[in-house]
Amino acid sequence: MASGSKERKEQIRLGFMTAIEIGERSFVGGLLVTDRFGRPLEFQCTTPVKPNRTQELLYGPTLVPFILGELLGKALMDRVSVKPSLVMTSRVEMLELRTKVAVPIIYDEACSETDTKMAESQKAVSHEQKVRIGRQTFRTHEDFADDCSTVERISQQLSDDANMHEPLERVGDALRETMSTVTARPRVA
Amino acid sequence: MLPDQGHLQRSTLSDSYDVPCPRAADFPFDTSPVGLSPAVDIFSSGANVALNRWPSIECHRVDAGLAVWTVPSWKPGWSKVHTVGLAFPEAIEFLPPEEEKSDDQSESVRPKKEKPEGDADAEKTRPKKTRLKPPSDALSLEDRLFYILQPPLETMLAGQELIMPFEPFPHQYEGIGWLFSQEAALLADEMGLGKTMQMITAVRLLLRGGQVRRILLVCPKPLIPNWQREFRAWAEELPVVTVEGDTARRNLIWKMPGVPILMTNYEVMVRDMEAMPEEERPKFDLVVLDEAQRIKNRDSKTAVVTRDLKRKRSWCLTGTPIENRPEELVSLFEFLKVVNARATPDLRQLSKLADQYILRRTKDIAMKDMPPRLDRDAYLELSPAQKYAYTVAEKEGVVQLNDMGDQVTVQHVFELVLRLKQITNFDPLTNESSKLDRLVADMEEIAASGGKAILFSQWTKVLDWLAVRLQQFNPLIYHGGVPNKKREPILAKFKEDPSKHIILMSYGDRKSVV
Repeated sequence: MASGSKERKEQIRLGFMTAIEIGERSFVGGLLVTDRFGRPLEFQCTTPVKPNRTQELLYGPTLVPFILGELLGKALMDRVSVKPSLVMTSRVEMLELRTKVAVPIIYDEACSETDTKMAESQKAVSHEQKVRIGRQTFRTHEDFADDCSTVERISQQLSDDANMHEPLERVGDALRETMSTVTARPRVA
Repeated sequence: MLPDQGHLQRSTLSDSYDVPCPRAADFPFDTSPVGLSPAVDIFSSGANVALNRWPSIECHRVDAGLAVWTVPSWKPGWSKVHTVGLAFPEAIEFLPPEEEKSDDQSESVRPKKEKPEGDADAEKTRPKKTRLKPPSDALSLEDRLFYILQPPLETMLAGQELIMPFEPFPHQYEGIGWLFSQEAALLADEMGLGKTMQMITAVRLLLRGGQVRRILLVCPKPLIPNWQREFRAWAEELPVVTVEGDTARRNLIWKMPGVPILMTNYEVMVRDMEAMPEEERPKFDLVVLDEAQRIKNRDSKTAVVTRDLKRKRSWCLTGTPIENRPEELVSLFEFLKVVNARATPDLRQLSKLADQYILRRTKDIAMKDMPPRLDRDAYLELSPAQKYAYTVAEKEGVVQLNDMGDQVTVQHVFELVLRLKQITNFDPLTNESSKLDRLVADMEEIAASGGKAILFSQWTKVLDWLAVRLQQFNPLIYHGGVPNKKREPILAKFKEDPSKHIILMSYGDRKSVV
């Protein structure tokens, strides 16, 4: 029993997903899967996605959630070999990915502090949607109430002092590094 | 009807020049107006009636050939998103992924500590984490991402089974991270800043990450017990095998598989490598040279053999990368494989290489949080017997030097100075010593407060002489004459036994203690 428990502990895989905007409304997404100590297991990043003018007009305010959640997020989740037990994100728009995958997607509330618009939307978030992992508080998708208990169960196996925000910074850095390397690379005819 | 031209002309003149306007009667000629309208007659053409008739208008539909098109079938045409991936070695354990089972709910969970929501201040006061940076010579994206995606060093070390006996200083974290990512590195921290610990921890992380499997550490012979002790302290889980014994035994050790860390001294390494056929020489993932200034002469046998060691990574440790002239660095760079064989880089090139491959911190920069070292000189009066002995020796010595005439050399003067210095330690006839008196007084205070002291001397005979007279403080002696096997227990006893208040050491062995 003890060894079984230990085995399960080792199998926790944490996903950290974010997206950055490069250039003019062009997005690139990244997903880092780590073990419970934050050591990297796999990293995936997408090619940039840039909506055209028609798409911008027709999608309106739903454009960015669609690109981040359904296009980039879904592509990343489909491609990653080491499937995460849950995914933490620093982009609230990526919460929409939850409607497409069977894994809890949770949003790091600390990331909304810099975004007034997001901070305002926080007021409407019920306590049932909030869950704490390590030092950070996350919020779940409003349509998936059961996610809180799932996430809490996973968080029991992590350190109370774990910094869950830091790996998201790593993903951002890796995306910037990737983009700078790719754009600096001379084009081969 | 046209206007009266005369009147018009006049009025114009009047308006223009502002003069009184004369009347018509005033002019001597006839100025009666003449009508200029010509008579108009309609030409009879026969169609005049038609001109008075209203036109008839009718509407007819004409096909202009235009149509309005709609787009009822528009669909969002998003092109497929492609991804680029990087898998880490550890991921193998996690493949194929297992589905989380529903019986996870039955797993006992430990109660979580309630945390206050507003602990933002605590977050701000946390020390800054040390992130790994990709080395400047890492060109491929995969190599660079490997380092960028690693967790901060503090997290790597704290959360795992990598137990650290002491919390490293920030500059040590920085050094560990730097070594970890470098294939060629010269760690040149000033003595006492923890080069040994930084190297051991970096090796530990590399071994754990599977990036290296076989390491060779070469150091001066007297430092081998030191390294063994440091490995026990900082990485007790790592098996370290010292290459020692007779030739057959050493050959066996060199070829022994599954030993992650081999340690040897320069002399043994040179002897054994020279004796070994080229194809039988062992290969290493990492070779570390401690006190790397030993290979500063690129033509020396040690430097040549060291450069021939088969390896992937090369690290050097030294507190004095340049002892005499900058060119000494070239030999070290040649070992690090960052310059070509027999290269002669100029100062500018050396400086550029140093920026890239040397990390050096000094105590005043790295240890800002440490209290400054307090140097306190004490001037002591010689005891009467010492003073007498000193005066006699001085006079006799001067007389002897004079008698030697032209034969006298600096060496003779040094010998006299040496003898006088010995007398200042103690009088050989009476054993009187003002230094000993002061030492005993200080030691009583140190021992009473539970402290410990290290005493250095140039002469081992003085150490023996002091040991007899400091028995109440249970002195330990550590100098070059002490066999290697006995050295470690002596240092361990000094550290662990609270009754041992003083250790007497010779200058040459001070590095062992540091």
